[in-house]
Amino acid sequence: MTETEKLVNRLPNDIGGLPADPIQRVDHELEPWEKRCHALADVLDFHKIINTEEKRCGVEALGAEMVGKLSYYERWIVAFANILFRKGILTPTELALKMKEVESRSNED
Amino acid sequence: MTHRHEDDAHDHDHDHAHPHAEISEGRPGYYDIMETAVRELLIDKKLIGADEIRRQIEVLDSRMPALGARVVARAWTDPAFRARLLADGRAACEELGISFYDDTSLIAVENTDKVHNLIVCTLCSCYPRPVLGLPPDWYKARPYRARAVVEPRAVLAEFGTIIPDEVEVRVHDSTAMVRYLVLPKRPAGTGHFSEEELAALVTRDTMIGVVPATVDVAGAAP
Repeated sequence: MTETEKLVNRLPNDIGGLPADPIQRVDHELEPWEKRCHALADVLDFHKIINTEEKRCGVEALGAEMVGKLSYYERWIVAFANILFRKGILTPTELALKMKEVESRSNED
Repeated sequence: MTHRHEDDAHDHDHDHAHPHAEISEGRPGYYDIMETAVRELLIDKKLIGADEIRRQIEVLDSRMPALGARVVARAWTDPAFRARLLADGRAACEELGISFYDDTSLIAVENTDKVHNLIVCTLCSCYPRPVLGLPPDWYKARPYRARAVVEPRAVLAEFGTIIPDEVEVRVHDSTAMVRYLVLPKRPAGTGHFSEEELAALVTRDTMIGVVPATVDVAGAAP
């Protein structure tokens, strides 16, 4: 199979059966924002705003480079933002302004 | 200042647990800020309630492998319950008061002298969260997801679990809607154990299927 054929045949999440490194039994306690992000995912699913499969697809749509470089919950929150933009629930400008507000608020603390 | 993972700028796509960027002076990082912003916007638009997030965090905190261990111990001591568990995993868990906060179904798969079961989610990180809590990082990482379906015996050996050739290994790939729970084999010599003592032998990893339940688990995590 050529390099491009391989790309066509496998989306970034579809790694079952590929060669990979030995298992390292790593784990970590979730940071507070990661736990909030998980709870947000569940609540979005409860309200049928973003279901589990849409979330997984949204992560995949980030592309191989972002999937490889962002951590697990970083991928989730970025995917949520993109999905919410696509659904017309949020706009990029709205989110950018809100992030500025949140950041300046935390600087005041 | 943001907390991008500059240190993760390696050129391969290993999906290992990223050591999290150091938090300087307790200021939230870029993704932390993004989470807060998304959540607050959705609350402002009345699409979700602030109290719902708080309550769901409490639900997440209440889910841990001890719940699954109760299910397994009951199945070991009550044949009728075991049959119900194998017939409908979710209903049997609900019978023990374990609520499912999502739309997933649960299939319990039983280890025997002839079959060893292993669960994985090759596409992402689907896991029986209502019963076991959140999955460990290695379950979500590339090596386990990639290899469990193609060389399960080698993967198991890396957990110290050697499955004899005559025992069939079955690997169950989880989906958004269907989750699996391994019912490990009851260790020999536990005939006199109470249900509570049995539950103490059942760790998270035994219910993923990467290790057997043993009697010398005392003090082992979780």
